[in-house]
Amino acid sequence: MSANAPRSLAPWMAVPIVLSIGVGPASAVPVFSRKYQTSCMTCHAVFPKLNPFGEAFRLNGYRLPAQTEDQIKEKPVSLGADAYKRLWPKMVYPSDLPGGAPFALNMKMAMLYASSLGDTGKQIVHNDFQLPQEVNLFTAGTLGERFGFFGEVTFSERPDGGSDVELEHAQLHIDSPFGPENLVHFRIGKFAPNLYDGFQEMWIMTDNGIDTLFNYNPIGFAGGTGLSDGGGGVGLPARVRGIEMYGVAKHRLFYTVGVDNTIGPGGPNGTFGNNSKKDVYARADWKFGGMGLDGDTSGAPLTAENWREKSLRVGLLAYTGDGTAIDFDVMDPAGAPFKMQDVRYSRVGGFASWYFKDLNVFGVLLHGSDRLQLLDKENLSLIGETKRDFNAWFAQADYVIRPPFQASLRYEHLRVGDRSVPSIKALNANFTFLARANIKAMLEYHRDLRDSQIYTLATVLRFAL
Amino acid sequence: MKHAFVAAILLTVPLETALAGDLHGKVTSKGMADNANAVVYVAAVPGKSFPIPTASAQIDQRNMKFQPHVLPVLVGTTVEFLNSDTVSHNVFTPDACAGKFNLGTWAPGSSKKPHTFTKECAATLLCLIHPEMEAFVVVVPTPYFAATTADGAYKIAGVPDGSYTVKVWHPKLKTIQKAVTVNGPTEVDLELSK
Repeated sequence: MSANAPRSLAPWMAVPIVLSIGVGPASAVPVFSRKYQTSCMTCHAVFPKLNPFGEAFRLNGYRLPAQTEDQIKEKPVSLGADAYKRLWPKMVYPSDLPGGAPFALNMKMAMLYASSLGDTGKQIVHNDFQLPQEVNLFTAGTLGERFGFFGEVTFSERPDGGSDVELEHAQLHIDSPFGPENLVHFRIGKFAPNLYDGFQEMWIMTDNGIDTLFNYNPIGFAGGTGLSDGGGGVGLPARVRGIEMYGVAKHRLFYTVGVDNTIGPGGPNGTFGNNSKKDVYARADWKFGGMGLDGDTSGAPLTAENWREKSLRVGLLAYTGDGTAIDFDVMDPAGAPFKMQDVRYSRVGGFASWYFKDLNVFGVLLHGSDRLQLLDKENLSLIGETKRDFNAWFAQADYVIRPPFQASLRYEHLRVGDRSVPSIKALNANFTFLARANIKAMLEYHRDLRDSQIYTLATVLRFAL
Repeated sequence: MKHAFVAAILLTVPLETALAGDLHGKVTSKGMADNANAVVYVAAVPGKSFPIPTASAQIDQRNMKFQPHVLPVLVGTTVEFLNSDTVSHNVFTPDACAGKFNLGTWAPGSSKKPHTFTKECAATLLCLIHPEMEAFVVVVPTPYFAATTADGAYKIAGVPDGSYTVKVWHPKLKTIQKAVTVNGPTEVDLELSK
C-alpha cells in the first residue's frame, strides 16, 4: 500500500457516512397551501422541487404573481389601516400578520441500507431503520406588502439514538422596497443563497443533496481529498449568514448578489468562519422560453400541465472569500498535526436547466481554487503556501412519468485538489411515488462509482402538514 | 269595486316609474375578496340643488370595527359617531377635505360625537387606539347614491329620468365614471379595477 493510500481511502469512506447521518433536504411549506387554500401541486412538481410557477412565487417574495386580495383565503391580521401610510412618519407604517399560525411540519422516515469500506478495506453493511430521521418545523409568510419571512428548524435523530437540532433558515425579506415590482428584493439572516437556485438541496427532488458541490472539503495537507466529515471546510456553504439582494428584470433575467460570513469548520449549524472578513457571491441567469421568472406569461405558450414547459435557463455564478485566521486541523502523510488556513478561495461556474415537456435536465460546472497556508500547530508560523484547484460538475435528469410517479438520475464528478487522490464519481438514482400531494415515498440508490461496495439504498417516506 | 282598485294601481305604477326611475345593477370589484363597499352615485343633476339633510347619519364602533365600513352621505350631512364597544375608541381623519378633525377618545357608551361634512370628500376615519380600524365617509353632491352589498348589488331609488354622469368610488380601487340615461327602471352594471 502506498503512502497515499490512507488519504485515498478517506473520501471513499466518507460518502456513506455522510449519507447515513446527513440531514436531508428541506421540503414543502404547507403554510402557503393554507394561506391560499391551494394544493402543494400548484407550486411543486414533487415537493420540494418547484415548478415554474412555484419558482416565480418564491422569487416574488412568496407572493403570487400579480396577486389579488381575493386570492388570499386566510385573511391577514391588520396591524394598521392603509391610511396610516399617509401619516408616516408621524405614525407607524401599517402592516399585517398571517391570519393563521404560520407554521408547518415535515416528517421524514428512512430505511437505509448502506455499504461502505472499513479501515482494513473490508466491506461493512449496515441496515438501519431511521424511523423517524428528521422533523422540520417551518414558519413562513408575509408581513404586509413589503416584508416576508422564512424559518426552518430541523430536529434529527442520529443512528446511535442521539439527536441534533439545526436552525437551517431564519430570514427576513424586504420585497421590492423601491423600483419596479420584483426588480429588487433583499434577504437578511440565515438562508440558502439564491446563488444555488435550482440545485441546492431545498430545491431538488432527490433525498441526497449534491455532496460533490456542497460537501467537498478543500482543506488537506496536499489539497482537498474528498468530502467533509466534520471539522473541514466545504467547497460551497449550503447555507449562509448574510445579506442578499436579488430580483428579476424583464421577466427573464434573474440576478443575485450577496455578502456573508466566511467559510469555516463545519458545526451543527453550518460551516461558518469566525474572522472578520466577509465572502461575496453573485449570479446572473437568463431564461429562454416558458414562463417568465416572475410568473409573466405573455408571449409564452402555456401547457395545461404545470410541470411542463419548453425552456432553457442558463447562468453564471461566482463565490469568493478570505479565510485568513480560520484554522483547520490537518495532518501530513506521517500523521504529524498542522494548522491550515484557506486565505483566498474562489468558485466560478455555470448553471443550465432545460425543460422539455416532462423532462428537466439541469447541471452545474464549478471550478474552485484555494490558496492554502500550512502553519505550525503550536505557534501558527507560516510553513508554506500552495494553490490547489478542483473541478466539480453534475448533471441531473428529472422525469415526470405521471404526476404521481417521477424519476431522477444524477451523475456527479469531482476532481479534488490533491491530485494523488482519485476523482470522486457518483451516481444517484431516485424513483418517487407521490401517494398524495403532501405524502411521498422514494426509493433512492446512491453509488460511488469507484468501488461497487460503496453504496446506499434508501427507502424514504416524507410528508408535509 | 275590487277590479277598479287593481286597475288604479296598474295605471299609477308605470306613471310614477316613468317620472322617477330607479338605477340599479351590480358592481364588480376585480381582485377584491367581495364586491361590497363600492359607492355608486349620480355626480350632478343639472339645475338642481339639494337641501342639507336634517337627519343625521351614524357610524358605530363595535367589536373593534367601524360599522358601517363605508357610509355615503350628502354634502352637509352630520355624522354621529358612537361607541357601542366594550373598550374606548377614538375617531380622527387625516383628510383635509374633511377638515382633518380629531374627535378625541371616549369611553364605551358615552355620548355621540358629531361631525358635519361640508365638502365632497372620501374621508378616511381612523382610531388612534386601534390602528387596524378604518372606515370611510363618502360625501357626495346629490342624494342619489347607494353602497353595494357583498354581491355587488346596488339600487338608487327616485332618480329623475334624464342623462347623468354616474361615479363609482371604492376604498381600494380606482374611481370610475360612466354616462347613464335613466328612463324608468334602469339597469347599469359597472366594473372597478386597480
